[in-house]
Amino acid sequence: MKPFVHDDDGTMGFQIAPMVDVVFVIMLFFMVMAGAVKVENELTTRLPGSTETSSATELYDETMIAISDEGQVSLNDEECDAPNDTQLPQLRATLMRIKENADNAKQPAVVTIVSDPHAKYSRTIDVLDALAAAKISNVTFNISDE
Amino acid sequence: MAGGGGGMEKGEPDFQIAPMVDVLLVILIFFMVITSAQVLNIDKTIKLPIASEASKKDDSRAEAIVNVRWDPDAQRATFKFQDHVYAKASELTVPLKAAKQLGEKLAAEKPGQNPEFRLVIRGDRDVPALFVSQAMDIAAEIDISDISFSTVNHD
Repeated sequence: MKPFVHDDDGTMGFQIAPMVDVVFVIMLFFMVMAGAVKVENELTTRLPGSTETSSATELYDETMIAISDEGQVSLNDEECDAPNDTQLPQLRATLMRIKENADNAKQPAVVTIVSDPHAKYSRTIDVLDALAAAKISNVTFNISDE
Repeated sequence: MAGGGGGMEKGEPDFQIAPMVDVLLVILIFFMVITSAQVLNIDKTIKLPIASEASKKDDSRAEAIVNVRWDPDAQRATFKFQDHVYAKASELTVPLKAAKQLGEKLAAEKPGQNPEFRLVIRGDRDVPALFVSQAMDIAAEIDISDISFSTVNHD
């Protein structure tokens, strides 16, 4: 068996098999890396502003979500979920019901987040994530007075 | 003459290495592009919070990115904007205002682009909410009402 493929003039020919091996290895590397890559996303909010209007403005029911310095989340003064629970399942379920009720009443669901100044920012993001899951976009963010 | 699929004299199709290499290279390029395009080019000192429901980043608009760093040893937050580090959020007012004016001017020159300037806050997950709120106050002061919080999909 010939170990190498030689052209008639004695030079070594192009070896396709090792090239395929290398391409396979590189492809496997990128396939694994593609699953582990971090993607930067965003949660959007709008600051409340003043608008000029000639007609009467309707006032809607507002839901208050408070975040304590220890990370305890309260919805309308009722505590929900543990302070270390990042998924906030109770809050998500309640917010989805609030959104459903608001949609049935043809009103926007309005939520205000009031965070303790010393509460971690990640907790605010947990709450914003729960609001995004419930598809509530009218969100205001505030810091409570010390 | 052999058919389109190539064949030996027995009539069985021969293994074609050239199209296989073509396909492999295409798959390789696909994985290279999706991996490298999503590598984060951010402040390495910041650990962004995790959010599973966050939407894809909107890169089509003029924006200012403010990094809110947190030093746990000194218990101190700093604000980084355009390669400058500011100790207080109030120091961001002048550079942010200039960035907003420039962004709006450039957006006005491009027809079809949303002219509204926005602020992206990249806050460390451990920073107290007070400092993020201070950055938002500055945005309100200079009339930026559209604010986005950067997050990552996983650790």
